[in-house]
Amino acid sequence: MRLAGGVYEGPASHGILQVAASMRGIHAVLRALPTEGYFPALFGLWAKFEEPAPVSLSPIQGRPGGLRRDVEAAVRRNPETEAVILARSDAALLSGEEIPELSLPDSPKTGREMKLIGCGWELPEMGEHEAADLALEELVRTYVAPQERSETPTVNVFGPPVFKPGAEAEFEEVARLLGMLGVGVNARVPLGTTVEDLARLPRAWANVLLYREVGDSATRFLQEEFGMPRITTPMIGSSGTGGVLRVVGELCSLAEEKVQRVVFSELARTAKLPWYARLQRPEALAGRRAVIFGDFTHAVGLGHALAREIGLEVSWAGTYLKHLEQDFLFHAEAFTDRAFVADDPEEVASRIERTRPDVVIGTYLEQRAAENTGASFLPLCPPAAAFPFVQRPLAGYSGAAVLADALDGVLRRPKVEAEPRLKETEEALPWSEEALEDLEEIPAFLRGRARRLAEERARELGAAEITREILEEARF
Amino acid sequence: MTVLDESGVPDVLSPLYSLNGLAEKLPDVLLILVGTRAEAYLAQTLPGMISGDISLNPHFSALVLDPEENVQQGQVASRVIEAAAGFPEVTAVLLVAGRSAELLGVDANFEVQLAERRLGLPVRAVDYDPARDGALSTDLEDGILSALVDVCPDTSPRMLELPPPAKGRSGFIGNLLGRGRSESREVRRRQVVILGASSPPGAWRELAAELDQIGIEVVGNIPGTGASGLPAVGQGMVAAVADPYLIASSRAVTERGARVLRTLMPIGVNGTARFLQDIAIAFGLKANQLNRARSVWENLEPLRNRIRGKRIFFAGDTGLELPLARFLVDAGAVVLEVGVPRLDRSFLAAEVQALGTDVDVVESPDPRGQMERIDRSQPDVVVASPGLYVPLVARGHLCRLALDFLEAGIHGYEGARRILELFVRTFERAEALDSVKL
Repeated sequence: MRLAGGVYEGPASHGILQVAASMRGIHAVLRALPTEGYFPALFGLWAKFEEPAPVSLSPIQGRPGGLRRDVEAAVRRNPETEAVILARSDAALLSGEEIPELSLPDSPKTGREMKLIGCGWELPEMGEHEAADLALEELVRTYVAPQERSETPTVNVFGPPVFKPGAEAEFEEVARLLGMLGVGVNARVPLGTTVEDLARLPRAWANVLLYREVGDSATRFLQEEFGMPRITTPMIGSSGTGGVLRVVGELCSLAEEKVQRVVFSELARTAKLPWYARLQRPEALAGRRAVIFGDFTHAVGLGHALAREIGLEVSWAGTYLKHLEQDFLFHAEAFTDRAFVADDPEEVASRIERTRPDVVIGTYLEQRAAENTGASFLPLCPPAAAFPFVQRPLAGYSGAAVLADALDGVLRRPKVEAEPRLKETEEALPWSEEALEDLEEIPAFLRGRARRLAEERARELGAAEITREILEEARF
Repeated sequence: MTVLDESGVPDVLSPLYSLNGLAEKLPDVLLILVGTRAEAYLAQTLPGMISGDISLNPHFSALVLDPEENVQQGQVASRVIEAAAGFPEVTAVLLVAGRSAELLGVDANFEVQLAERRLGLPVRAVDYDPARDGALSTDLEDGILSALVDVCPDTSPRMLELPPPAKGRSGFIGNLLGRGRSESREVRRRQVVILGASSPPGAWRELAAELDQIGIEVVGNIPGTGASGLPAVGQGMVAAVADPYLIASSRAVTERGARVLRTLMPIGVNGTARFLQDIAIAFGLKANQLNRARSVWENLEPLRNRIRGKRIFFAGDTGLELPLARFLVDAGAVVLEVGVPRLDRSFLAAEVQALGTDVDVVESPDPRGQMERIDRSQPDVVVASPGLYVPLVARGHLCRLALDFLEAGIHGYEGARRILELFVRTFERAEALDSVKL
């Protein structure tokens, strides 16, 4: 039990719905209380599609046999459906309701047997990313079939699901670069994927994993079952992108010179990030500090690009994704001295307040803390609080140029000294041991406020040190 | 009027979605949600993604329960005390505990009693039952108001006989009404409490001024501006309900011994007139609003001309649909369908009766079915539920979000004007956009 000023990850059902809504011909039935609805509203904002989200809500309470009837009704109402996936909300999971045995009618569209993906592994404590990952794996396991490898080299691209701004553009950018190498895209997963696409996955020569939060388990399964190699480097920044393209070249037996030609021409034409780095005077970056917090892929990919390609000091980097902690710490070591995992946005906010960086790269949950400290803020990690009409990738060489623009926008600003005099005094005020102990006892999300109030009060009193009494007084 | 129960799953946003906004309305109340991470996500993270407004009110936080962990009695109370300690300005704490908290072993009533004893502040559990059939997005507001009713100071008939203390609890409204009026005891005793949350403070002040005109004092609003300004509620008091979804809170007021008037909601011209008139009758006054209503209608004539004959479809979300539809029919619009996620026929008897015979009400509408009906009937404007808004706009329908009416201040005579203006602005904008050659 903990007091939280916010949460990053949604429930497991949110992850399953994201995967289902990304794909085509898959209808999701959310077993939940009628008051747990929100998905259609959010989906509308992101997709701006003409059609509503392929999600039906099956209310838990009341009618026995309700789930069976609701699944059948959903299938009837959506004749395009080829598979039904079941997501259960926390309330449904906690109620201990069993998944019923259901035999579904044949798909009216293809005449094939319609399957129910039960997601029996769903647990109340599971986060949305882990659930999305497992849902995709279950879908792949259900539909994949042995295939001959395609004659010319192709790969599958596993990218982000819906709600990631620019997801569509991300896939297109990667397809463009692969096309330049002469490598086709066999299937892109999960955005726009059909069940036929899932069946044909083993035709490809390799799997490119852009967003491992969601595609990790599925590509591991394909590796074990069909011997398909996978490429897991985040395709962010020019260096990351080049790295992925070279591995694709090797796996697809392309001539090294050919890959190099593509990389060079793209570096010259599209990827403006290395240019931008070389145009900057060293003084412009001196003393500029960035912090990064968010998911796994973006925190790692952007951390590399910022620290290695631009030469910005990354004071710390972190992720909300506890289940990827080991991997994150391993990768983050390459670009920052301090890496950590936290699940409370308030903890991240108080770290931002302590560090006072020049640039904060994060999810929208970090925006307020960034603004409070006068730092520039780049909302480059999902989730975002805006779904722009222009889709811009962050992956690939085009993505590197997008990143260069974003950085230029914030680094061009003269270095802001946030209330410089105040800042000095604030830092100069020491805390007594006892006061610090008391401060530690205050819940994390209130600590920042308590600290500021106490420091303010101490300055009012002209005290040389913040004592336990001043802290008490300031809080009440 | 025909009522059709479609038994669909209504397209509403989770009531938890509005918790942060409610904290904004109650600056001296600490709201704590006790539930799973999923519920905290619905209340804290999704609103930012959907509305783009990223600010979270510090007076709202979530106590996230771990489903693996056994909750010990008193644990929740300790956390509540910890959280309240950070806010000296807080005068009451409301604990919102849903079904999952109960399933995970939280006894909300025990915890609030413990926290109240230790904090010395009123601490209440908000009765919020997410399993209730046919939920409205405004249900939590009702639960919070009824918890606040419980925080209201008690009153006895004897207290009413006494002159009010020099510095009363009635705050701004009391001062406004006290000015220039004869201070006779009789006038002071005609006091009413208004229950209503869906309009900003300005609309309530206007309504209080109308009541003042007929010699009735509004001693307070629930929720008004928070816990410290709540009026006394008890025997001998008269209360009037201004929002159609405040079922639990009006029951709570009745249970305190106050008299709750059953009348139309003060929404629209005729609704406001009936509301004022019925309050007057409750105090034995004759206050004919006929002339007042007639002159308001005359003033609204130019706006009415713009919406006369327009065909309007209510998809249903907030629970304000019935009175809004009633007013629009009065104003000359054609209401094709009123979707209501829930219809309490006895609570809304007056509204149902006033709606007239030509309007179809669909209870628990099925959103997909509604989309088909909207495509068939091509209304001039759809008051859309949150999930239908984007798909309907994409199909070329003119839409207004039901939530927009919660911000507009729809109560009272001036509110009637604002409702019409909201529609007229919608039409004007559509005409302006349509006139551009693309």
